[in-house]
Amino acid sequence: MGDKKLAADLAYQELVRTIYQQEDFDFVGIALQDTTSWRKIHWRYAAGNTSQRFRKIILRSGIGIAGLVIRTGEPFLENDLAHHQYAGYMSQPITLIEQLTSAVAVPIFDQDHLVSGVLLAGYRQQQRVTAHSGHVLQEYLQPFQ
Amino acid sequence: MLESVSWVEKNFNEAPDAIFIFRDDQLLVSNYAARTLQADYALSTAYITKLMNSVVQQQSSRTDDCFNCAALDQAKPAIPFTLPVKDGHPLSFFLVYSELDAAKKVYSLTLKSNDLLQRVDQLAQQRKLVQYVNRAHEEERKRLSQDLHDSIAQGVYSSIMGVRHLESTMAQADPTAFAHQTKLIESQLYATLQEIKGMALDIRPSVLDSFGLPAALKALAKRLEENTGIEIIVVAHDIAELKLSEDVQTVLYRIAQEAMTNAIKHAEANEINLILVAHEHEISLEIIDDGTGFNVKEHVSFNGHSLGLLNMNERVKSLHGTFQIKSEKGSGTTVTASFPIA
Repeated sequence: MGDKKLAADLAYQELVRTIYQQEDFDFVGIALQDTTSWRKIHWRYAAGNTSQRFRKIILRSGIGIAGLVIRTGEPFLENDLAHHQYAGYMSQPITLIEQLTSAVAVPIFDQDHLVSGVLLAGYRQQQRVTAHSGHVLQEYLQPFQ
Repeated sequence: MLESVSWVEKNFNEAPDAIFIFRDDQLLVSNYAARTLQADYALSTAYITKLMNSVVQQQSSRTDDCFNCAALDQAKPAIPFTLPVKDGHPLSFFLVYSELDAAKKVYSLTLKSNDLLQRVDQLAQQRKLVQYVNRAHEEERKRLSQDLHDSIAQGVYSSIMGVRHLESTMAQADPTAFAHQTKLIESQLYATLQEIKGMALDIRPSVLDSFGLPAALKALAKRLEENTGIEIIVVAHDIAELKLSEDVQTVLYRIAQEAMTNAIKHAEANEINLILVAHEHEISLEIIDDGTGFNVKEHVSFNGHSLGLLNMNERVKSLHGTFQIKSEKGSGTTVTASFPIA
């Protein structure tokens, strides 16, 4: 069991690095939801991060981009994060900490087809994300589902 | 022409400031407010004339400390002036002196009530503050209603849908699907429960009531740290034996909350230090951030953003405490509040 978890760990770390290297995103990260009763959401893996502060963020379902995607199971796409409906330090800490101007996020499903996490990628210099960027991320997730 | 003279006269008579017009040492005309003032405080005309004269002479003798002073020449003299009144509080005025006819030595004196001016300022300030507090109340309600609708109602609704789905898996007699579905509903209900707890904490921290201020500050800091990734260091000594009043504890908590929120929202802080210390006869709370800082002077007056600070100040003052903000562009902000303790 421990080995399996370690393998998943490595695989996710490898995944964010691969996406960061092959695509032109400024930041790529994965948040996972705890399976314990608290069901907290942490950002676990990142590439292109400016600091380690993202590790301190703890989200609940429905809060933050990751919380929103986990709640709805739907992809998230935003090109004007500063003026987004839920903009603000409380609702989108990851965009604030990593100074993202646009971001796309897709749900990660487990074997039971439950949302277990979020794969997010974003830009810092006003480049736009599109539905296509979401599809690209989903392609990368294929082997994990 | 005649009509307009009567209007001017009416205006003069009904002006709220007491206006006297003198020639030499003789009172020529005074308006209604001036006569009421005289009557109310039993001031004889001769007394006022003498008093005014000496004030005017003080003003016109330029020998005291300023020769050829351009600023003094241009300024219409407005002299803070206290009228000594027998058997009562002295009246504070602003005395405005203007020469109407230099050749005939006609001049007018206007007494503007200091109290009135200050009162007007205070009223305007109070009105803005009330407006701000009302708006903040309304904003909070809006947020609560949104939270209830968006997250909790949503969570309950999806659980209901889950239970319905459960019924259909029952009908199909599929144990794996059944197990899967119960797991799903459980996780949804857990998430909703967490949200309700979080909301309750946002509205009013029960920690404050049951475990006291230091515990509440630590819980607040932890929560903010989780939500923002900013490092918050809390140094709070045990203050249980001080028996602080609930009001003081609440205000200190709200100040910590407001100051930290400001630091995170506006100052792009990386680290916040929160220090709660009890000295002899005083308890003080300091919130220090390493953010961008701001020019305090520019924000002390009304500009829409600083009302939060002003409101904090008012709350502290109402409990006999002191409140201070130190900040400079580029070198962070320190907010200090302290209260006297028995």
